[in-house]
Amino acid sequence: MKYKLFFAVGLYYLNLFLCAPLAVAQGPITSPTTAEIFKRFSEHVVKIEVVEGASGAKAAVGSGFFANERGQIVTNYHVVSKLIHSPDRYRIELSTQSGQIGQATVLAVDVIYDLAVLRVNRPSKGFLALETTPVAQGTRLYSLGHPQDLGLTIVEGTYNGLLQHSLYPKVHFTGSLNPGMSGGPTVTHAGKVVGINVATEGEQISFLVPAARALTLLERTAKTETPSTANFLAEVGRQIQANQARYLDGMFSKATPSLSLGPYALPTKPADFFHCWADALRRKDLPYVAITHDCSTDDYIFVSSEQSSGIVRFYHQLLSTDELNPARFFTLYSSQVQAGNVALFGNEEEVTPFRCLTRNLKTQTGKLKGVLCARQYVKLPGLYDAMFRGATLGARNVGLVTTLNLSGVSFENIQTLTQRYAEAIQWRR
Amino acid sequence: MAPLGYIEVLDGKGNVVERNRVDSFPVHIGRAYNNEIVVDDPYVCPAHVIIELDDRGSPIARDLNSVNGLRPGINRKRVTMLELKSGSEFQVGHTLLRYRSFDHPLAPTLVDRENRLSVLGSPYLAAFAGLLVFALLCLEAFLGSVERVTVARIISEPLATFAMLFLWAGLWTLAGRVILSRFYFFEHVTIASFAIVGFFALNALAEWLEFLFPFIPALWLAGVFGAGVILAVLAFGHLRFASMMRPRSRMWAALSVSAALIAISFISDYASRGKFSNVMEFTGIVKPLDEAWVPAISVDRFIDNSQKLRKDLETLAQKSKPAEAEVGRTVD
Repeated sequence: MKYKLFFAVGLYYLNLFLCAPLAVAQGPITSPTTAEIFKRFSEHVVKIEVVEGASGAKAAVGSGFFANERGQIVTNYHVVSKLIHSPDRYRIELSTQSGQIGQATVLAVDVIYDLAVLRVNRPSKGFLALETTPVAQGTRLYSLGHPQDLGLTIVEGTYNGLLQHSLYPKVHFTGSLNPGMSGGPTVTHAGKVVGINVATEGEQISFLVPAARALTLLERTAKTETPSTANFLAEVGRQIQANQARYLDGMFSKATPSLSLGPYALPTKPADFFHCWADALRRKDLPYVAITHDCSTDDYIFVSSEQSSGIVRFYHQLLSTDELNPARFFTLYSSQVQAGNVALFGNEEEVTPFRCLTRNLKTQTGKLKGVLCARQYVKLPGLYDAMFRGATLGARNVGLVTTLNLSGVSFENIQTLTQRYAEAIQWRR
Repeated sequence: MAPLGYIEVLDGKGNVVERNRVDSFPVHIGRAYNNEIVVDDPYVCPAHVIIELDDRGSPIARDLNSVNGLRPGINRKRVTMLELKSGSEFQVGHTLLRYRSFDHPLAPTLVDRENRLSVLGSPYLAAFAGLLVFALLCLEAFLGSVERVTVARIISEPLATFAMLFLWAGLWTLAGRVILSRFYFFEHVTIASFAIVGFFALNALAEWLEFLFPFIPALWLAGVFGAGVILAVLAFGHLRFASMMRPRSRMWAALSVSAALIAISFISDYASRGKFSNVMEFTGIVKPLDEAWVPAISVDRFIDNSQKLRKDLETLAQKSKPAEAEVGRTVD
């Protein structure tokens, strides 16, 4: 799902203009409590600017907050990802309401949960403590940050628990988070941080990284003032590598439920964190029917603005006809086997071009055309994107195209999952 | 008997431009009009060379102290005299001359193969070939559509391509009319039609091979070779009815045209190869064939084969390394 904070800029400006007269008509809408909370905690929130070295212009803006007595700052990994990828081209500059506080260095990152800890040379003037005891659903929360670089803003909302069926726990915050607020704190009225602003799906549906995860990262950096590694990019690669096991182990094994589609039994919803959708294309003017079944993980790991990782998606497309002769039906079928062969993201600096392997495969129950395409991450060694596509053979008026997409996984995992997936495509005879 | 014969004036390619019969010796050659053989060349002296018989009765060419001399062939060293045998060439000024005696041996008479080719000129064959192409184009339009189609649409779709065929044959006919003053329209239609049929067959064969044997490396090279052969035959056939070239030179011309076209396609392919792209290049051709006939490997073997994919990617990633080294420089 595409709920990145950074990419909805135009839309939100529009919203601002539309909402402005409303706010005036209603008169003062902030309750005294909110004003008080803002006054008490605003000095602990920082604006984070990622500045391009050569031009001195800012390349990204986000938020963060002082999170311990040592003055360490918690923010999102995606706020500072440009610096992680090109440390010689960017620097991080911090400021609070009362002015500039100087340059920051990265102490640690957690790419899986989208967190980073920064350090700045300035004595601590207080901080916002991370709250790990659970809060009741419906609790009023206050989110702070710099939406669209418009100045420090406070947003009210409610706590709606942890997301169900999510691979990575996320707090569901009902309130309007906007680009630029990423990395800022969401606090209770007592100033306890419940989560770190990370993403939005629009219409008040927003997500926070649970405070506990940030606490774990802070514990790692609490005793040291030096960065945990000289090469954070390599650390990002290591974290993604280490994370694979938690969601790929056992996927498409015998325990994976199966679904009947035409004469085939196919894998579906291998784990709770998958969402599956199905639809059919039946139109009177088309001499064929296409039924699709699409499953994917909602969670992804932000690696850079051009690259995300950790997504597993697979989809089945059953084509059948009562009308087309085999030669014509196979024209349609061939074109579908070939369709969707372009990756949406990726540039030369981050990935190699794709290489593909095509063979006719014999499984326990039938034969299929198998295509495996993969590309390697250039900066994160040992990680790959891959697509396996299978197309069942033998029938004359029915065919199944099935595709498995993996991103940011090891080659061994590509091989294991491809093997399991290919064997999970079965003929019901 | 005196070795009488001809003195021939040759052009740059060695073709005879002019023949002068020699009925007696000596023969005078020069620019002046009192010579037996008048050479219209400003580099030739009025009295340039004389050809006489020596004591043995052989013809000898002798330089008459000319300005530019006598040479035993193009740009050879000057000589004052030169013994002539039947077939000897010699240069005066910028003109190449050749002596041939009456008894010069001749090549055997060529058999005219016109009749054997006349079947190509049959209007029935041309009509058959043209209709075959039209039928194939219609079939392609029909099999290539996955929506409901009407006969009218199936027939109308290939019309433009079909018209191109006649335009193509017409242009070759025009060329033949200009060069040979002959009208070979049916021949050109037949040749072009069979070339198109050849391309259809090649394409169908390539698709089936691609489907059945995806493991054959560089199958596309065989396809390119096949296309090259068809192109060469096409050019060879058209040139037969549009030029005076001999079979051997026609063959070379046809091969060069075909090679040039293939080279161009290779070059443009190579030029675009360096570009990065997010496209997964594979051919997903599937055919309606009973499973039993499809050669297949086990999934385990497939996974083993993917090891090669991994190596290829490793090589590609290594190539991209310099960019990474730059990015990874220390922070200052």
